[in-house]
Amino acid sequence: MELLSSLADGFAVALTWQNIGLALLGCFLGTIMGALPGLGPSNGVAILIPLAFTLGLGATPSLILLTSVYYGAMYGGRISSILLNIPGDEPAMMTCLDGYPMAQQGRAGEALALSGVASFVGAFFATWGLVFLAPQLVKVALLFGPAEYFALFALAFATLGGISSTNQAKSAFAAALGLGLAMIGVDTQTGVPRFTFGEVHLYDGIDFLVAIVGLFALSEVFIFLEHRGTDRDISDKPRMKIGKIIPSWKLIRYCTPTMLRTTGLGFLAGVLPGAGASLGSFISYSMEKRLVDRKGTFGKGDPRGVAAPEAGNNAAAGGALVPMLALGVPGSGTTAVLLAVLLALNITPGPLLFSQNPDVVWGLIAALFIGNIMLLAMNIPMVGLFTRVLMVPPRILMPIVAMVSFVGIYGISGSSFDLLVMVGFGVMGWVLRKLDVPLVPVILGTLLGNEMEVNFRRAVNISNGDYWTLVGSPLAITLWAIAIAGFVLPILVGGVIRKRMRMPKDNEGAVTD
Amino acid sequence: MSDRIFGGIGLILALFYGWQAAIIQESFLTDTVGPKMFPFIIAAMMGLSSVYFLLKPDPEPHWPRAGRLAEIGLAALVLAAYAELLPVAGFLISTAIAAAYLTWRLGSGLIESLIIGVGTSVGIYVIFRLVLGLSLARGPFGF
Amino acid sequence: MRFSITGRGLLAAAALLLTPMAASAQDFTPENPECIAPANPGGGWDFTCRQVGKSLQDLDIIPSTMQVVNLSGGGGGVAFAEVVNKRNDDNDLIVAASSATATRLAQNAYPGNTMDQVRWLGAIGADYGVIAVAADSEIDTLPALMDQIKADPSAISIGGGSAVGGWDHLKVLIAAQKAGIEDVRQVKYIAFAGGGEAVTQLLAGSLQAFTGDLSEAKGFVDSGDIKVIAVLAPERLEGEFSEFQTAKEQGIDAIGANWRGFYAPGGMSDDAYDYWVKAIGTLYASDEWKAIMEANGLAPLDLQGEAFQSFVSDSVQEITDLSKEIGILQ
Repeated sequence: MELLSSLADGFAVALTWQNIGLALLGCFLGTIMGALPGLGPSNGVAILIPLAFTLGLGATPSLILLTSVYYGAMYGGRISSILLNIPGDEPAMMTCLDGYPMAQQGRAGEALALSGVASFVGAFFATWGLVFLAPQLVKVALLFGPAEYFALFALAFATLGGISSTNQAKSAFAAALGLGLAMIGVDTQTGVPRFTFGEVHLYDGIDFLVAIVGLFALSEVFIFLEHRGTDRDISDKPRMKIGKIIPSWKLIRYCTPTMLRTTGLGFLAGVLPGAGASLGSFISYSMEKRLVDRKGTFGKGDPRGVAAPEAGNNAAAGGALVPMLALGVPGSGTTAVLLAVLLALNITPGPLLFSQNPDVVWGLIAALFIGNIMLLAMNIPMVGLFTRVLMVPPRILMPIVAMVSFVGIYGISGSSFDLLVMVGFGVMGWVLRKLDVPLVPVILGTLLGNEMEVNFRRAVNISNGDYWTLVGSPLAITLWAIAIAGFVLPILVGGVIRKRMRMPKDNEGAVTD
Repeated sequence: MSDRIFGGIGLILALFYGWQAAIIQESFLTDTVGPKMFPFIIAAMMGLSSVYFLLKPDPEPHWPRAGRLAEIGLAALVLAAYAELLPVAGFLISTAIAAAYLTWRLGSGLIESLIIGVGTSVGIYVIFRLVLGLSLARGPFGF
Repeated sequence: MRFSITGRGLLAAAALLLTPMAASAQDFTPENPECIAPANPGGGWDFTCRQVGKSLQDLDIIPSTMQVVNLSGGGGGVAFAEVVNKRNDDNDLIVAASSATATRLAQNAYPGNTMDQVRWLGAIGADYGVIAVAADSEIDTLPALMDQIKADPSAISIGGGSAVGGWDHLKVLIAAQKAGIEDVRQVKYIAFAGGGEAVTQLLAGSLQAFTGDLSEAKGFVDSGDIKVIAVLAPERLEGEFSEFQTAKEQGIDAIGANWRGFYAPGGMSDDAYDYWVKAIGTLYASDEWKAIMEANGLAPLDLQGEAFQSFVSDSVQEITDLSKEIGILQ
């Protein structure tokens, strides 16, 4: 096998003491940065670029360091999701849904270890996918024109109905809120500012990291303030038991089908430029819920609800490297930063990268394997350490979390305005939580809103105003069919059948419009 | 009742959003769809779901007493003030104050809060500024 | 003293026309040199700051490490306003800028700010614009593309990596204008988040042409997926790019360079200004920088001090006129 011998060459490149040391450093720093709210993988990588420059590293070692940070951050994001109900970064948002309830049931250790294994499975198979399928997958990316992207994002929003089993109207409202926030800023298709109120800080739009940190982390602080000194006061004692820190084989076997399915799904989502890891974890969770959640345990601490998004987002992280390496097109915010690094190192990503710089590509892929194994080896024993976080009384922990969030945002953008917006989001998040409005659709709306609108307009614009172009290809039709048959109809029909339950309103259809 | 109020606010928000969308200054160079259509759809979606809350409210959530609301409002104000103070007073001082305040309000003693506040501030500074090299706010004293 | 001027074509001519600056620039040394990147880490401006900062230190042109500060927002407008309003007298500060900065200044996208409020230091290179089509396209030349647009503007969708009214869009409009298309607003431009995304859609068949920078197109040209039908440079580029026809030699006199450079606060002292101009000039002339330019696909653009100031001024004027013409600016 030619590929395997290339890969062996790659290992020869990657297995120097220096590179192993860099991978270890990157994995460690990445895990920490991923776990800290306010610092996601893209910022984590960006922060370490100067370090790579200062150390005077060559192309391959720099890439090894930075992709280890990338993979590490994807692992790390889950930690604060599970322990604190605060996603460390946007792809880890879905892990909160079942991870935190598991922690509350005294299974924090199990949730952490299981999610570590799921992350490994996702990243491991995605890396193999990168080895064998990269050239073929590029063709998949080329099947997606603007109309198909629009259908894909519509599918993502259609699955929202499946996620929060409560009041569907509130999901719809939350999605509208998120989409509405995404519209803020200069409209790329006409160059006119929208909803900026003449404020120059808003011209670039609202950074979704600001939204996510405000909505999740700061609102959590407010909730603690609210409950202090009442019968629900939990701020002065360790919050919960940790439970065992090694998952049983039975549990892993139980979750294996979930992990494998979501790995495939997440990987595909990652391959599509513009979709990225967040979509990967989101779709993985919602599809898996639709598929296997027969007893309604998702959202209440179902281990599969932890395994699904973690396998999905780590697989998507690997998948996002496909268009970056093979097309020079970033599939996510993080790969955009990595791409800039590649260019700065005199490497032109693109169709010829595999043949022109095989040492870089295969060295990188080998480093991904090594980093991934390191991360598993690092993360499972460290579960005990991570859970110590829960021993810190929240009255000390929560201010630290809040301050770290501020630093993360300010250190990247240097903007007090962003911090004010973040506080605003914190208050909004608290109110929404009180009113039982789910936060996930808000974030999904801000994350995908622009891409969704822009692809819609591109498609219609290219076809000179013919709206039928939106269902103009078999792929687009298939995506619409999945969205409608798989997610919208069950809500509508289910509502009719089970009339005694609260009837979900028709406007779920509007979500997919 | 809360949901009804929420629905009312949501409806006002939707109307405001729709109005703001309507007054978007379109340039001469517009695409087929234009910059307004999507915002209109969003406003409609927001409005419809708000009407739903008005008609079919969920059970009342458990709201804290007025004192607690003030507590949360004050914390938000302190954090907003922190955001404004950062570029003026520098990272270490502002962060120590904000962290100490939060720690105190979450139930620590006054002296303890001060120590924790300073500790948090210095700890973050060491990790983010000195180790990771992030550019944090520089006050009059350079930190 | 000045350094050898190797800029070419119009740019070099513009530079030569201007008087050399005073030579006594040695009275100032920055204590805490600082570079503001008006965007998040990882973007183009961030790299401008970091690479220049590192090279300046490596070459001992500046005495200490350049601190890079990210100040994002408003497409650079937040940083511009900060420099004008709060740090107008700072002698240690430089700010990364590019064609995008000039474009936004020209289109009043930095509310209340104009280019005269800061002092322009110098350029560190330029990335020339290209117009490309898919390799299997029937179109082979820029005039052929323009003829098709004239015949049926709705049939040709051109994609690029900047927003409408942004630099990638304006480049193709300049070309259309020079090709004799009367109402350039008819040219159908589709905005993407980056050049790479636009090229992908070109390959996927959603688009008929691509407008962007040479560095964005390079990888796909090498692989034979797309063909460059015109490079918007004053004359043919060197080396591997020399096979690309310029728009000019095809009879369409359009030039579009995405330059990178720096500005400094408007209240900076003359000594400090001269110091920074000289620092950037020395850097530009160094072999180390030539290697970095080549690595990044940057073409020469040797303009410092007054010459750069008037270059930016001219291009702001040109963009203003064009934007008014197409109605982006009233």
